[in-house]
Amino acid sequence: MHSHTEFTPDQIEDFKEAFGLFDRVGDSQVAYNQVADIMRALGQNPTNKSVNKILGNPSADDLANKRLNFDAFLPMLKEVDAQPKGTYDDYVEGLRVFDKEGNGTVMGAELRIVLSTLGEKMNEQEIDALMAGQEDENGSVHYEAFVKHIMSV
Amino acid sequence: MGCGLRKSEVQQKKCDRAIRAALLIQRWYRQYVARLEIRRRCTWNIFQSIEYAGQQDQIKLYNFFGFLMDHFTPASSESKTVTLITHSFIQWERYFCYKSIDVPDSYTGPHLTFPMTFCGVSKLVEAFKHKQQLHARYVLQILGETWRLLRILPNISHLSSCHTKEITICGDLHGQLEDLLLIFYKNGLPSPEKPYVFNGDFVDRGKNSLEILLILFGFLLLYPNDVHLNRGNHEDHIVNLRYGFTKEVLGKYRVHGKKILKLLQKIFSWLPLATVIDHKVLIVHGGISDTTDLNVIARVDRHKVRKTFHFQFIVRNGDAGVPVDFRRRVRSLTHHSSTPSQGPPRRSLHNLHISHQQMNWSVDNELKKRRRLAGFDQSYGERKKPDSDSDPDSEGRLIPSVQMVDLLWSDPMPQNGCIPNEVRGGGCYWGPDVTEEVLGRHNLQLLIRSHECKQDGYEFCHNRRVLTIFSASNYYEVGSNRGAYIRMGADLVPHFVQYQASRTCRELTLRQSVGWTERSALQALRRQLFVHKSDLISAFREFDPNNTGIISPSHWASATESVLKLGLPWRVLRPQLVSSTKNGMVDYQDCKTMKNISDTSLLETMYKNHSNLETIFRIIDTDHSGLISYEEFRQTWKLLSSHLKTEISDDVIANLAQSIDFNKDGSIDINEFMEAFRLVDLSEGILQEIPQ
Repeated sequence: MHSHTEFTPDQIEDFKEAFGLFDRVGDSQVAYNQVADIMRALGQNPTNKSVNKILGNPSADDLANKRLNFDAFLPMLKEVDAQPKGTYDDYVEGLRVFDKEGNGTVMGAELRIVLSTLGEKMNEQEIDALMAGQEDENGSVHYEAFVKHIMSV
Repeated sequence: MGCGLRKSEVQQKKCDRAIRAALLIQRWYRQYVARLEIRRRCTWNIFQSIEYAGQQDQIKLYNFFGFLMDHFTPASSESKTVTLITHSFIQWERYFCYKSIDVPDSYTGPHLTFPMTFCGVSKLVEAFKHKQQLHARYVLQILGETWRLLRILPNISHLSSCHTKEITICGDLHGQLEDLLLIFYKNGLPSPEKPYVFNGDFVDRGKNSLEILLILFGFLLLYPNDVHLNRGNHEDHIVNLRYGFTKEVLGKYRVHGKKILKLLQKIFSWLPLATVIDHKVLIVHGGISDTTDLNVIARVDRHKVRKTFHFQFIVRNGDAGVPVDFRRRVRSLTHHSSTPSQGPPRRSLHNLHISHQQMNWSVDNELKKRRRLAGFDQSYGERKKPDSDSDPDSEGRLIPSVQMVDLLWSDPMPQNGCIPNEVRGGGCYWGPDVTEEVLGRHNLQLLIRSHECKQDGYEFCHNRRVLTIFSASNYYEVGSNRGAYIRMGADLVPHFVQYQASRTCRELTLRQSVGWTERSALQALRRQLFVHKSDLISAFREFDPNNTGIISPSHWASATESVLKLGLPWRVLRPQLVSSTKNGMVDYQDCKTMKNISDTSLLETMYKNHSNLETIFRIIDTDHSGLISYEEFRQTWKLLSSHLKTEISDDVIANLAQSIDFNKDGSIDINEFMEAFRLVDLSEGILQEIPQ
């Protein structure tokens, strides 16, 4: 279970500055449809569904046009921060589901199908970018290395 | 989407786990992308801020350079001839005459005949593709013909669109020949069936500025009704001194370079200012302001305009009084910008105040002495400028034109209003309300401009009424951005084609290209920190009265911004630039950019101003030999330092000059001198990469 600690004032100032970087209009606010990405840039990794829930399940129109200032954003960030994040082990376990032969690899092709059809589907470009350079000559992905690679950004 | 019919609980569990696994990976991929994106934005902001801060710096000395240019005439016989010439077009023609220049048999480059033919221009393009150089005779010929043509063109060109052909519009090229060749490859060469508009900034920074100009002029001569060139802010001989074009020409044409530059100076002043398509689409390099009036611009004598950058801006309408932080899109909510100031140039710690009279005296005296040496007895106050850009029957007096400066230097901003563009030092920032008003007043529907680099090569703003087009890919660094051009048919709807020159960067993954560009930006930023070390330390010390060497991140951020004034997100960048202590504080003396090097103040001041120094060197090096004497070096330094209100003793300068004289022959090679600054960049112990 993930325990939540308060953000320090310094951290909050850091977040505020990063938040400002996403303001493309100049009104010190960001659009609803940017909120998920800002949270991710600040170290969270929520699903789009959970962010929408926190935003009050906005319509497509709201997502594009409604805006949010930092004071309204911060409690949402806290709420997301309180959710379990997923550790290195969680991810490795998640990928192990697809490890048919139990040898530390998954088939790249299978991974692509899963990512494009299950959960919050990714498009072809996103999958290509994710998998770039990860498949070996047999088309297999060594998933422990894969996880380390992505977590290192 | 489910997993099909549920056969058993085991299957069900497997299915759930699969979905959960997919969700995990997807969440985490999206986090990865978001983090890369924020790094990319920071990197972008770094490059842009440093670029514009450099321009601003240059602008402050623009008038000074201009004055030097006009009055620093040498004692050689050639220029005596120039100065004795009366304002006669015929005599200018004689000066620029190419006929006496012979093309030797050993020349393997292209031969041109005039009038320009398609064959001739193609030969030129092919030759440049193969890195050949055009002989000076032909260069002068093309330039001479171009000058003659430009003089009869109006300030604003009017084009009509047509159902059978599309107009191609290109933005900044900045000497990047690969991009121009890529555009021609993808889009075809200019022709009556394929008209082109090139929207300024053809030169500077890239290393093939001259080749680009020659190609564009070649096509212009060939198809004057179908090729249109707008002037950019870099089509300016003084800007060229700093940003590389002058150096490129002098390097490629050692004998005739000076003549070529002089002719180019005239050509630039004669470049048209704007293009209008169907009276509906306005194309101009920089932008507009609240006072833009195309009727006025159409009537101005564009070749006579003197570009002065005053800091007393005309009071503009709108929110001019509000201290808005209008630096690009970096609007940090935490840093408090000071009100737009017209402050003095940055000072080092060790400056002594020289009174205004004293400064004028020393500059005046130097110049008077020089002029006496050069054999002129008139005082410069009375004398009309002999080598002005003016025409045969003119007075030779140059006119100021804020409107023209606005067209070439302004940038759009998201907020309403119109305020001076202090980041660039010229033109203004204009808002969506000004766009609506100006477009409305002229019955236009779209403004296409360039001047600002864009990640994707183009960008709309102001409710899609303003479109920025930028054609130099990888402008800041390999992989930094794509270039783009516009194709527009009779419906006046812009279609975009994007590209990125250089095979290597296309093969980089997103992460690699972000990393590469970021490394480069951070290095440039660390250089800035190094250069301002003394000022930074004293700013930090103000927050550290007990001299512990430790300050809070907030204080570090605001002190750094107060010194560098780049408007960057310092808190986000902090981990890359300084080391933190365990409790999150900043150890400002231990960080790798703050090495204690003794007696760096002179070096620091020099480094800060090295671009300006280079500009002045090139002005002083009137025979373009690349060498200046100790004495000239000393005078250069004194001139600049008095203008900047710093003071350096003669001994220090003499010592420095001796150490710079690398081959000990009593003269300083300018290129070697500038090379020394590059060596400073690369030397270890000053710039180390902080491990990620």
